Amino acid sequence: MAASVDLSLDNTYEDPSRRADLVLGGMTYGDITDNVAEIWEAGRPPTAWYIVFGIAVVLLGILGVCLLHLFFMGVGVWGNNNPVYWGFPIVNFVFWVGIGHAGTLISAILFLFRQNWRTSINRAAEAMTIFAVVCAGLFPGVHIGRIWVFYWLFPVPTEHLAMWPNFRSPLLWDVFAVGTYATVSLLFWYMGMVPDIATFRDRAKTKLQKIIYGVLSLGWTGSARAWHRYEMAYTILAALATPLVLSVHTIVSFDFAVSQLPGWHTTIFPPYFVAGAIFSGFAMVVTLLVPCRSLFKLERLITIRHLENMNKIIMATGLMVGTAYGIEFFIAWYGGVDYERFAFINRAFGNYGISYWIMVTCNVFIPQLFWIRWFRTNLVAMVIISIFVNIGMWFERFVILMSLTRDFLPSSWGNFYPSMIDILMLIGSFGLFFTLFCLFCRFLPIIAISEVKNVSPQTLHAHGHDHHEEHATAH
Amino acid sequence: MAHSHKHEKPVETGPKSRLISLVAQFDDPHALVVACDRAREAGYKQFDAYSPFPVHGIDDAIGIRRTRLPFFVLAVALGACVFALFLQYYVNATDESPIFPGYKFFISGKPLFSLPANIPVTFEIIVLSSAFATFFGMWILNGLPRLANPLQRIPMFRRATNDKFFLVLEAKDDKFSENRSRQQLEEWGATAIEECHEDLTDQKIPAGLRRAGILLLFALLLPPALIYRVSGMTYRQPRLHVVPDMDWQDRYNPQTRGPNIGTPERPRPLFADGRAMRKPVPGTIARGDLTENDEYFRGYKTGTAPSESQSGPYAAIQDGMAAPETPPEPEWVDVFPEDITVDADFVKRGKQRFEIYCVACHGYDGNGEGLVNQRAVSLAATGDAAWTAAKSLHDPAVKSQPVGRIFDTISNGRATMGPYKDQIPVKDRWAIAAYVKALQKTGIKSPADLANDQGTATPAGN
Ligand code: HEC
Repeated sequence: MAASVDLSLDNTYEDPSRRADLVLGGMTYGDITDNVAEIWEAGRPPTAWYIVFGIAVVLLGILGVCLLHLFFMGVGVWGNNNPVYWGFPIVNFVFWVGIGHAGTLISAILFLFRQNWRTSINRAAEAMTIFAVVCAGLFPGVHIGRIWVFYWLFPVPTEHLAMWPNFRSPLLWDVFAVGTYATVSLLFWYMGMVPDIATFRDRAKTKLQKIIYGVLSLGWTGSARAWHRYEMAYTILAALATPLVLSVHTIVSFDFAVSQLPGWHTTIFPPYFVAGAIFSGFAMVVTLLVPCRSLFKLERLITIRHLENMNKIIMATGLMVGTAYGIEFFIAWYGGVDYERFAFINRAFGNYGISYWIMVTCNVFIPQLFWIRWFRTNLVAMVIISIFVNIGMWFERFVILMSLTRDFLPSSWGNFYPSMIDILMLIGSFGLFFTLFCLFCRFLPIIAISEVKNVSPQTLHAHGHDHHEEHATAH
Repeated sequence: MAHSHKHEKPVETGPKSRLISLVAQFDDPHALVVACDRAREAGYKQFDAYSPFPVHGIDDAIGIRRTRLPFFVLAVALGACVFALFLQYYVNATDESPIFPGYKFFISGKPLFSLPANIPVTFEIIVLSSAFATFFGMWILNGLPRLANPLQRIPMFRRATNDKFFLVLEAKDDKFSENRSRQQLEEWGATAIEECHEDLTDQKIPAGLRRAGILLLFALLLPPALIYRVSGMTYRQPRLHVVPDMDWQDRYNPQTRGPNIGTPERPRPLFADGRAMRKPVPGTIARGDLTENDEYFRGYKTGTAPSESQSGPYAAIQDGMAAPETPPEPEWVDVFPEDITVDADFVKRGKQRFEIYCVACHGYDGNGEGLVNQRAVSLAATGDAAWTAAKSLHDPAVKSQPVGRIFDTISNGRATMGPYKDQIPVKDRWAIAAYVKALQKTGIKSPADLANDQGTATPAGN
């Protein structure tokens, strides 16, 4: 028990003799429950919550109006046109799906790697994932024009159409990948939440709360037998979600890479898309959690160390993305195909060159600040950098898409101009995202209470005298 | 399962309830593990521990066997793999099936079924099914969801999801005896002990709820019954069209005067004169409309045309399907027009077209063995249809016809035979005529000739 006062309050110092505490301030199990449940039990949420929620709902309303307009008028209200038939909708789709990668990565991959620090952030990150996937699914969902026959996307026998989807098309793979990802993320999120919903149920005061949380908790009591199967199921889901999360953005990148367009037809796309997805996802988690943590007084659970870890991941994935940008250029030159060479020179210095440099600045240069400890541990700085990363990642997809404007034949060149509806829908999708996230913060446990208890110093130190336990910190 | 209330009422003890377990509270996970160890050593089998998070070492302490969930998931995953591959094979690589046949997409000459292209979807289906299997399998193995649990009526037990740890000894265990077990629990370090009773008055589903349930069941039967009722019915009204798609859209009809667009009061014609089309510029002619040459386009010598009403199917209709009394005819050409060169390829083309357009009635050899003709003749025999048998092309009356006349028969039809000029381009009609002539030269005999033939030899050819 070498814990000096210092280490239980500031866990960012590395002390090789022991693992840093993941819960600070000597919180007991009860304290942890109270800390999280208070957000939900409070009679009224903080004023800032109302402000954010209010703005989000207004934006959501704008999105709704745009969607109605779209449904009645058709996809012509967008800027999509020859030669860019895929405009903002696919940029937004890839952007949101990318963001939606952090949650499952944190909950599945970090779980398999036994990264215990994930416990404080995984719930919020998973929720964010699901909401991001909802935003992502929106765009391809409505871009089909006649949304009332959306089920033609799936292999459903219809007499009307009398044909089946083409299973060798990346666009169909996309339907399956994103659909599976949304479903599995939802199952994972909900399953992880059941014990915590049971906690809420047992603290519920009103009849309505008792009924709702009672039903949602499925009668969970925390029996040892149930926990045994539950942990097994959690591990299996993590093992399933890990390849899944990698497959999703891989398949999204196939939408581009399987085509023959210069600048798209590259094998680097899958890994580069996945790295970019993790990059933008973590940036979004940081953007959301830093304000949440202060607003809901979760500083002792989501510690600076947690945030610092995430910032390190952002920096690492940022470097991967930067490397990919470089390799793309190298291969374009080394491959010796004129069209490829032109596509890349045009990317940097051509008609949309400015967006290329925004992308490079935001994604490659700015995250380098995280080499400096001050930026990694300063709340304001990290939020600003994360926002830049997200701007950069949106532009990355935009830059890729704009390859369409300059393909093989100069006679088929053209430019892309987004329409007002395009822009409003992009902004509106943030409304959808933040509305859902605000509701989540208010009504569901935003921290995985039971998992945090499992890795809190109280448990780990108690295990110290437990003869069953050899690796005190391993689980 | 369907208790209407869960844990609001205090437990009534007495004859109405039965002791089902003893609930002991512990303050930390370590104490719980030790107590579980003791309970197992004391010979208890029916007991369980409850904790706010999975406590390490508790599985061994209680003696929980490893769950079979992984094997179940593996089985589902393998099944999903087979299913996914079959699905893709069925829908994209086959198209012969009576119900919902597959649909072959031929794309850039790529194989219809090839693993690399079919792996992504297979993978996703495997993951999706396995995830469902894990999720639902886990809940089912755990006996959840469960809406009511007597344990949850004990106020103390609510902390099982917060910060306390519980050991519950079931009364149905052989070792269980109320007083001794309570004593043991105290010895093992329990900080509080309570009895858990099952409320026996509460077992039945309330009558109102049951009635509502039965009603609901009947209500659920309604939609399938209705669907069964209307299936296969015929309607005079067009069916309900929820989404019009582009089925009815405003448009300008060709060759019509008057507005299709706008209201009758305020028409919005396309052109000021109310037309939706323009007349051709004077002195010009549309492509394909130049049909001046009578020999080529109509098969007779220029200027020998009879009037419309005297020939063709119209005449037949006017005569009530009676065989036309030889109407006045133009002077048919008996050599092919100048624009046509008859060679092997041309006749081959004629044969191919003949087999498409004429064989259905006249048969391959021209003697009327076509299926349509056979069927029509048999129907006519029973009086179910009116039909004149397709004439044998080897009938001397046909054989003697000049080629222009054959061309005319194809173009305008003859008696019961319909006109083909709208289906077959001019040149192909000449090709068919050439083939008919060739066929007639083969020496095949018409059925009538064959009947006469018994003994008499007719010279072949004409
Ligand atoms: C739907 C069945 C049908 C088809 C298809 C058909 N015919 Fe006929 N055809 C008839 C019938 C029936 C007659 C006898 C008409 C009559 O005498 O009333 C006939 C008669 C004829 C005659 C003799 C006409 C005469 O002068 O008496 C010729 C020649 C002929 N068909 C050629 C053709 C050719 C060439 C084609 C292909 C383009 C063709 N037919 C397609 C049913 C058909």
